[in-house]
Amino acid sequence: MDWIDTLLIPAIKAIVVTFGLLLGFAYMTLAERKICARFQLRYGPNQAGPFGIFQPIADALKAIFKEEVVPEHVDKWLYVLCPVLAMVPAILAFAVIPVGRPFVLAGRTITLQLADINVGLLYPMAVAGLGAYGIVLGGWSSNNNYSLLGALRTTAQIISYELPMALSLVALVIVTGTLRMSGIVEYQAALPLIVLQPIGFLIYFICGLAETNRSPFDFPETENELISGYNTEYGGIKFALFFMAEYINMIVVSALVATLFLGGWQGPILPGWLWFFIKTAVMLFVFVWVRASLPRARYDKLMHFCWKFLTPLAVVNLLVTAAVVLILRG
Amino acid sequence: MAMTDYNMLLERLKAQFPGAIQGESEFRGETTLTVGADHLIPVCRFLRDDPDAQFNHLAFVTGVDYSALGREPRFAAVYQLYSLPYRRALRLKVPLAGENPTAPSVLDIWPGANWHEREAYDLIGIRFKGHPNLRRIMLPDEWVGHPLRKDYPLGGEPVAFTPTMDDPPLEGLGTQVLDPVSVPPVRPPEAQPHTLVINMGPQHPSTHGVLRVVMELDGETIVNAWPDIGHLHSGIEKTAEYKTYAQVLPYTDRMDYVAAMTNNMGYVLAVEKLLGVEIPPRAQILRAIMCELQRLAAHLVWVGTHCLDLSGTIHALLQYAFATREDIMNIFEMVSGARLTPSYIRIGGVARDVPPGFVPAVKRFLETFPKWHRDIARMLDKNPIWMSRVKGVGAITAEQAIGLGVTGPVLRSTGVAYDVRKYAPYSSYDLFDFDIPTGTNGDCYDRYLVRMEEMRQSVRIIQQAIAKLPEGPVQCDDRKIVFPPREELDSSMEALIHHFKLVTEGFHPPEGEVYACVEAPKGEIGYYIVSDGGPKPYRLKIRGPSFSNLQASSLMAKGHMFSDMVAIIGSIDITLGEVDR
Amino acid sequence: MQDNYGFLGLYLLIAIAFPFVALGVAYLLRPKRPAPVKSSTYECGLETIGETWVQFKAQYYLYALVFVVFDVETVFLYPWAVAYNRLGLFALVEALIFVGILVAGLAYAWRKGALRWM
Repeated sequence: MDWIDTLLIPAIKAIVVTFGLLLGFAYMTLAERKICARFQLRYGPNQAGPFGIFQPIADALKAIFKEEVVPEHVDKWLYVLCPVLAMVPAILAFAVIPVGRPFVLAGRTITLQLADINVGLLYPMAVAGLGAYGIVLGGWSSNNNYSLLGALRTTAQIISYELPMALSLVALVIVTGTLRMSGIVEYQAALPLIVLQPIGFLIYFICGLAETNRSPFDFPETENELISGYNTEYGGIKFALFFMAEYINMIVVSALVATLFLGGWQGPILPGWLWFFIKTAVMLFVFVWVRASLPRARYDKLMHFCWKFLTPLAVVNLLVTAAVVLILRG
Repeated sequence: MAMTDYNMLLERLKAQFPGAIQGESEFRGETTLTVGADHLIPVCRFLRDDPDAQFNHLAFVTGVDYSALGREPRFAAVYQLYSLPYRRALRLKVPLAGENPTAPSVLDIWPGANWHEREAYDLIGIRFKGHPNLRRIMLPDEWVGHPLRKDYPLGGEPVAFTPTMDDPPLEGLGTQVLDPVSVPPVRPPEAQPHTLVINMGPQHPSTHGVLRVVMELDGETIVNAWPDIGHLHSGIEKTAEYKTYAQVLPYTDRMDYVAAMTNNMGYVLAVEKLLGVEIPPRAQILRAIMCELQRLAAHLVWVGTHCLDLSGTIHALLQYAFATREDIMNIFEMVSGARLTPSYIRIGGVARDVPPGFVPAVKRFLETFPKWHRDIARMLDKNPIWMSRVKGVGAITAEQAIGLGVTGPVLRSTGVAYDVRKYAPYSSYDLFDFDIPTGTNGDCYDRYLVRMEEMRQSVRIIQQAIAKLPEGPVQCDDRKIVFPPREELDSSMEALIHHFKLVTEGFHPPEGEVYACVEAPKGEIGYYIVSDGGPKPYRLKIRGPSFSNLQASSLMAKGHMFSDMVAIIGSIDITLGEVDR
Repeated sequence: MQDNYGFLGLYLLIAIAFPFVALGVAYLLRPKRPAPVKSSTYECGLETIGETWVQFKAQYYLYALVFVVFDVETVFLYPWAVAYNRLGLFALVEALIFVGILVAGLAYAWRKGALRWM
């Protein structure tokens, strides 16, 4: 252990991950617009550069140069701070996800994972839960009826869906016997966990949609009801930060699904990081696909669905898994 | 037979209320009874409740200011009634004297009179005694005067902006917004103390324009919803009094701008009824084809936007609906040169004969459309999320709907098969074989199903109409009403004179008043014209279906969730251009 | 392994730095032309009726309360799940009882109508 191991490599990794996420966010917005456009018989952005590849840059410049209106009736400090509050946990959550096979460089083994901690599975859930604060306080501090409704919906929705999400992962932990991400990925060398835990996968993915406020569960925003929900009073870079937080959360959830259920970077022939990228991209595509083809549920029905269907289902899944594991072990 | 019944009914009415009926007139097959204001309420109650009368549908209430004709008394309140069981119409007229005339409110008999009476108060200045909420509906509360009175000048309102490049100066861009008018927002007095009162609209993504709904929320449950309209009021009725009959036509396109053809159709029918002209069969069938194509186009806009409201901007269905609507727009462009506001149906026929490519284009469309329609139905019909959003939401009963003057698919979804195309066929609709779909629950889902089925029926009508399309002229041959053909102008002096008279002056219909209605995609759109024999309508009242249908939204919304309001507004299918006129 | 938590701390600093840098850059570059209309509340183009910061429907908070109870219980299941392979039938029975209490609580809340949206 020297300073290269303890400081230089982690710092490089942290910077690479941060910028990787930002790049991922930027091109996720473009990809979503392009894919949705195709769903809608349109072309999508195609003016800024070939196939519109410079569109995210144009969007970023617009966000930065846009006049920011801080309405006079808001709670100013909270109002400015909330986009940061939403953004930081979104970035942080990615830290424990292994993106590829460890490799050896100049005699040092480098893991493609920022921090392989022993409660790796709990960490992203804990951190992502903090993101709700940004949205809730952002909506409250705006002092706007629509923002308030959006914020309150978020409170109830995000916390409600954490429960079945957590329960579905308990079943997964029973199978793998570890909370460490690298361990879970290694466990899936032969068989991805989606085969052993299909119901757990479905529950986790549905909760992922709800946790990231994506259609059909995009209630905090619901542009057709609450105008823009919690971020109605936000513009310019502050809005962009909220937007980034949502998309990075989506990338994190997709990456988690890829890691926990689809075998992470494990896969034949292709290099590990590419497998990880492909699996994450497929999940992100599903996010967009769902958005383009499903109507939005109603808020109370969503809560009922969570408490009266998903949670009991997750409990049953947990108990059945425990019983089957016990029987197989003999 | 039916006619004698009708006469007997009128005799009974006169016998039962002696002195109430001050006059009876007949014009173009329409009966108008003049009723004294004191007797209005018992007469109306009789007309609604008597088993031989059953005038349960109040199409509109309005007023006429006769001062420009020098008649006494100056005002008259007009009630257009329709009996759904007996399929006949009756108009009541109540003469009202004085500068501030007062008529009794018929709100207790037909709840739908609510907004109509408010409108008559707002624009004509007739007060309705017993109306609980007689406020202005179209104009701002602080407005002075009643614009549809004859002594109210056209124009004269100062315009608050100067549209030049130099004023305001460009360097001040972003600061030139006017200071907000300091009208303190008023909490509705009916609202309970612990609730949240929230404005939905006029600038809201799901109110289909500039509708404002003030909502009282308890949590997310709607305690009360008060629709507030008039943000798009453009005074079409006042403008019409200053235009010749032919010049009014393009204004009608701009009311319900997603169904311009049917707007034209209703107006044209009313004027033709007034003139008493016959329209050649080819023109009639062409009109029917256009109206049905328009119905398809309007319903496609509805299904697209309704789904948009209930999903999100990214949902693909809106574009599917618009992609197939594009074919209809192209057909309209082919026949009239315009897509949204064609003004193709004209007084005396249609603007010009269809080009040779028309019939093949319609046939091509009829082949491709069912596939699109099937796709849309597959995406929504059995979709559990969709069902959970619309099933059981915003339900009203048939009685409530009729009482509120609701028409169109919203009424039919409650099980009442009232459709003007069947009840009083116009423009050769009696030649076609088609069904009127109805629902049972009167909720958003039934409205959805009814409209989806109506699209299938429209396809049937168009297929039959194309097969039956005869050759022949497309305009009537009355030179006093329609322009002579271009060739005649070079050779015939008479044709030139007719042309000159029509352009400079317009035609002179006989004195009288008529009401004609058609089945627009949103319901019964009707035009009530009072003619003084001059080339311009003396008074034009437009009965917009969305106006009456929107009244029901408050009843539908009560007790539902905030999100349901979006579904309800979407399922009523309003166009604010026609609500506010 | 303590190092790995150290890495997280490092990452946290970068994650916090980024949004502040973005806000700061935008603060320096953006135009500022305030106007009274711009800085008013957006409520569909009209002024808000009454106060927004009011006492609000308790239903939202009921969910939060129910959630706290269940989530804490769920967290207890994690160590159990990790060690499950080393325990045995006794662990399953134990978990059954534990989850049984949890389910009973859910059923109680359900019956009491705490899960009914109002």
